[in-house]
Amino acid sequence: MAKIDLVNVTKRFNKTVALDGIDLTIHDKEFFVLFGPAGAGKTTLLKVIAGVEFPEVGEVRISDENVNLVEPAKRNISMVFENYALYPHMNIFDNIASPMRSPLYKKDEATIKREVHKVASMMKIDHLLERLPSQVSNGQRQRTALGRALVRDPNVFLMDEPIAHLDAKLRHVMRAELKEMQHEFSTTTIYVTHDYLEALSLGDRVGIINEGKIVQIGTGEEVYLTPANEFVARLMGDPEINIFEIDLVDEDGVLGGVMLGQKKPHLIPEDVAKVINDGGYTKIRIGLRGNDFNYSFTKVSPEYMDATVYSVEPIGNKTILVVDVNGEKLRVIAPNDIKVELDQPIYVNVKMDKAMFFNAEDGNFIIRHNQKQLLEVD
Amino acid sequence: MNHKSKEMLKSIGFTGLLTIYAIFAIFPLFWLILLTFKSDAQMFNTTFVFTPTLENYRIVILQGTDYVKAFINNIIVSGGAVLLSLLVGVPGAYALARYNFSKKEDLAFTILSFRFAPEILVILPLFMIYQKIGLYDTYFGLIWVYQLITLPLLIWVLRGYFEDISVEVEQAANLDGYSWYQVFFKILLPLIKPGLVASALLAFIFAWNNFTFPLLLSGFQIETVTVAALRYIGSDTVHYGQMAVAAAVAALPEVVLALIIQKHLVRGLSFGAVKG
Repeated sequence: MAKIDLVNVTKRFNKTVALDGIDLTIHDKEFFVLFGPAGAGKTTLLKVIAGVEFPEVGEVRISDENVNLVEPAKRNISMVFENYALYPHMNIFDNIASPMRSPLYKKDEATIKREVHKVASMMKIDHLLERLPSQVSNGQRQRTALGRALVRDPNVFLMDEPIAHLDAKLRHVMRAELKEMQHEFSTTTIYVTHDYLEALSLGDRVGIINEGKIVQIGTGEEVYLTPANEFVARLMGDPEINIFEIDLVDEDGVLGGVMLGQKKPHLIPEDVAKVINDGGYTKIRIGLRGNDFNYSFTKVSPEYMDATVYSVEPIGNKTILVVDVNGEKLRVIAPNDIKVELDQPIYVNVKMDKAMFFNAEDGNFIIRHNQKQLLEVD
Repeated sequence: MNHKSKEMLKSIGFTGLLTIYAIFAIFPLFWLILLTFKSDAQMFNTTFVFTPTLENYRIVILQGTDYVKAFINNIIVSGGAVLLSLLVGVPGAYALARYNFSKKEDLAFTILSFRFAPEILVILPLFMIYQKIGLYDTYFGLIWVYQLITLPLLIWVLRGYFEDISVEVEQAANLDGYSWYQVFFKILLPLIKPGLVASALLAFIFAWNNFTFPLLLSGFQIETVTVAALRYIGSDTVHYGQMAVAAAVAALPEVVLALIIQKHLVRGLSFGAVKG
């Protein structure tokens, strides 16, 4: 039950800047996902909020109260560490019971027993309670760590990749369960992940962090449909988004883009063209996700570009085709029953109404077709 | 030759080698014990067949209180040295493992370097200093100088143990609602216990057996067993039997301690705490 504010938080380790002037507000009862590549500062940010690392500059506020000088124990924050951080000399039961035995959050033994069993059965580790952490698998350790955090009733949950080491099936179950649980507890939660699916499916809002700086904050739709820059666009989605340069041509007031060595320009949607003209952008790159292409094995219209199949990667429910258009490799999603040979000719066309337009000079997002309507849907 | 008999041959070979080594290692001790039961008259003209006597024990332990006094002194000095080392060394090792400060590695190396300076090299200046500041021939003087022996060992062993414990374990306990001291006693201490026990025992043995420091830095007030054993070298003869008793009795506390502590010398508890 707490709102968290970070004001200009900066943290250095020797000369490396881990967090660089972070300003961030996490609303009460919000499920906030921190998403970013390895080494971006996600874990450090959690630790600063938890109070186990101290920011050199800036302020951490919990429920509008400055907690910079409050000991971690007294912040009533529960955290799941990425490397589990279990107590090796205690069995699973005692590990989970640990917060309820501490002087600050003490409960009687009967309650402890009931709560531990409840959490353990939720985490499906109730048959392992007598074992030591060294005697269970990595996935089970991670669930123990998660159990130890969930057994409490804290102000804030901090979760550092809490389900990253579970096997795929269990991860999906846990993901749903976590969302459900958060809804039930309605406790402010900050969740760190490097899996974009987790980020999009779990978070009320997603914060994208890179090199110690917040790059974008928004709902899942916002960061997926209108990424702040090319970096965010590349992080979200699998296969990676295709981004390439286009040359703007103005034919009688109609803006088009020439791409990938073609002769004929592709028409740029009117609302996009207006923004580009008004902004005076000259160098444009466009981003297209794997399913923003049409493809065919015959040249159905002159707009379709000649290409060859470079590689085929079936991944269960879909196939990723990498096609070569004049030296540019495009990743295209195709159905899994597609029959295709390597180096076979193929014709692809871009859906310009799905394209994201970036300023080629700084990589920042400009606009996409129908942007307003897209984001109003939810 | 099949697999099974090959295995057996191997184990016989190993056992044989170990037996030879054990005899080699234990024989001096056995010889020492034999000497304690020989009278001076039979010392040089018998090997295994002699009339056993307890005379040596009577002389050393009961006649005159010097040896007993030295024994107690040794307990005070060695025990005190180890206790002081624990008190200083555990926080020291923790700091070296956890905190970053300038010249950290230099400091750690300096502490280690106390171990490889020959005692005889530093004893003269130490002797002068001790005379001047009144530490000569005092319990504290010896306890202090023994830190050169016990402290580096303890710090370096424990530093490794602390480094093996992930800092996140401490942070997790912190967030669970434990203060730093509670974390230390509830989480850290149990985890470093094997290292603590082993290094404290070794430190105790080194301190207990030390000869140079008590010989030169203490006089008649405080005499340790190692120095006291010299008394059995008379002007006319060497009482090997009594000396052997002194040495055998002096070895007892170490043997007893090692036996008591054996079961704590278990390693491997710290594995599995964090992702491997």
